[in-house]
Amino acid sequence: MAQFWFYVFTLVFFLFDYFILAMGLNIQYGETGILNFAYIGFVAIGAYVTGAVSLPNSVGTAQQYIFGFNLPFPFSLLAGGVASMLLAVVVAAITLRRLRTDYLAMVLISLSLVLYDVINNYVRLFNGADGLYNVPEPMAGIFHLTSNAFVVFFACVTGVISLIMWAGMSRITRSPLGRTFRAIRDDPDVASALGKGVFRYQLTSMLIGSFYAGIGGGLIIQFGGSFNPSAWLPGETFVVFAVIIVGGVGNNVGLLMGALLVETLLIHLPAFLPDIPGHPGLIEYIDAMVIGIMLMVMLWFRPQGIIPERVRRFSLPASELSNRDGHSVAAPAETVTVAAPAANEIHEGDRA
Amino acid sequence: MMSYHETTTPTGAEGPILRCEGIVKTFGGVNAVNGATFDVPRNKITALIGPNGAGKTTVVNLLSGAMKIDAGRVQLGSTDITNMERYKIARLGLMRTFQLSRELGGLTVLENLLVAPKVQAGESLFNIFFRPRLLKREERQNLERALEILRTYGLYDLRDNRARELSGGQKKLLEISRGVMAAPSLFLLDEPMAGVNPALIDKIGGYILDMKAQGVTVLMIEHNLNVVERICDNVVVLAEGRTLATGTMSELRENKEVVTAYLGEIINAGPGH
Repeated sequence: MAQFWFYVFTLVFFLFDYFILAMGLNIQYGETGILNFAYIGFVAIGAYVTGAVSLPNSVGTAQQYIFGFNLPFPFSLLAGGVASMLLAVVVAAITLRRLRTDYLAMVLISLSLVLYDVINNYVRLFNGADGLYNVPEPMAGIFHLTSNAFVVFFACVTGVISLIMWAGMSRITRSPLGRTFRAIRDDPDVASALGKGVFRYQLTSMLIGSFYAGIGGGLIIQFGGSFNPSAWLPGETFVVFAVIIVGGVGNNVGLLMGALLVETLLIHLPAFLPDIPGHPGLIEYIDAMVIGIMLMVMLWFRPQGIIPERVRRFSLPASELSNRDGHSVAAPAETVTVAAPAANEIHEGDRA
Repeated sequence: MMSYHETTTPTGAEGPILRCEGIVKTFGGVNAVNGATFDVPRNKITALIGPNGAGKTTVVNLLSGAMKIDAGRVQLGSTDITNMERYKIARLGLMRTFQLSRELGGLTVLENLLVAPKVQAGESLFNIFFRPRLLKREERQNLERALEILRTYGLYDLRDNRARELSGGQKKLLEISRGVMAAPSLFLLDEPMAGVNPALIDKIGGYILDMKAQGVTVLMIEHNLNVVERICDNVVVLAEGRTLATGTMSELRENKEVVTAYLGEIINAGPGH
């Protein structure tokens, strides 16, 4: 029975973790139109840095890595998120000013391959092809958790983190900043002609998305205790793309749906199934084929995803509209009513 | 009634709002713009006319920063905007529309307007998380203004439609109203009447006159000389990338060079132009 819950909560962990990763890629691609084919590189940097800062100094151990600060959770996780953001600054400076769409995508995928080769071969950085292992389980010692109990505990922690990050992301995407991101996605020239510094906004979007990637990666290494180059082959980026394309680009609920369908049910659930007799590893290949076919079917028949991007409606409070010209003011369920701030609110807003 | 034209006045409130001195743009050895020189007087409607290939749209692209100027100088108010980044020019109050309407298709009609104010507190991450009241207040002000503009331009009932769903004429109106929402001091309109029905031509003409009344300077590329005659105070004629003449429409009709280079072919083509 304990084994069953171990499986279930492992799936729950990956559901929430890929939800975080999907939100990060969605703000870059779905909201701002940056085709970031290097996304998995940002996830990996988050994972490696989280692992390396939470491990003790590498001197005298069988592993080689930088940092080794023995940082506790959640500081180790935040370090991973920040490291990913720093990588985003470098990547954005190289690419975003001069490149767009397919050329940008090509350079980004090349950067991802370079990063992969450097980390895989420069052993002193993050222990090369062996990767990092024996990464401490966060808070397991404090709560005296067994391995199975830790899986349940950390899946729940990841769930809470993903909900907090969902709330933060929703706030961003509903704000004027989110609207400007979508304007840039639709037509960067028009956005620029409206006075929007496109590079600055794209950089902001890259930073937000990379932070999510870094946190998602950091959670993976803290959950599993290890991370090596086989976990982030450049093709993995397309799994995250599949999550957001299937679920619904530009819709956070759709992303959760995509994470459930693609990552949880298609990738991780079959990993727990017994091998087909005489065909070891066949399930994994069938998995990849099913994801590919699903992507093609979605792009052909429902490119907007299972839960498409919402139409955002705005309205003034009903009394004001009816006073003006008698237009209907019935607010649909998804309407954002911009309420008049109370007098004291305005006053405080002025002071802030 | 609240005015929705809250223009951004560039520094240097005297003299022409825009001064364009000998601008040159070359594409692979061909001079698309070859020393065009003209002024755009403040609070007037100026037409930029000329035969096809005269370089009118290229001039608008150069003025708005969409293309780099090879030689020459452009001054907006007292600010030299030659080869300044496009978004910085826009922030100084120069807005433009495009020859083929370029709506932000995935956004609703209302969002197309809400995104237009050049600098918004709600575009800062710090403000989003730590100054929600300021955001709410700003958003409310923008919403009021946007709804008022949409009513004026007859797009109110379409406010929740995605912009890509609009017809060609509606997209023209949306582009103009989006520019108005950005509170320009100088508005460059690239063929605002092209491809729209006669009733809408009259409407757009009225909107442009209304902008002028509210203090917006307009520079518009237009082939419809009836419209130019009716609403424009000043006309700049371009031919082969150079300024051929400037003046009022009636003055230009007397100018032999202009008649030979441009007006002759229009007059010969008969009514409808």
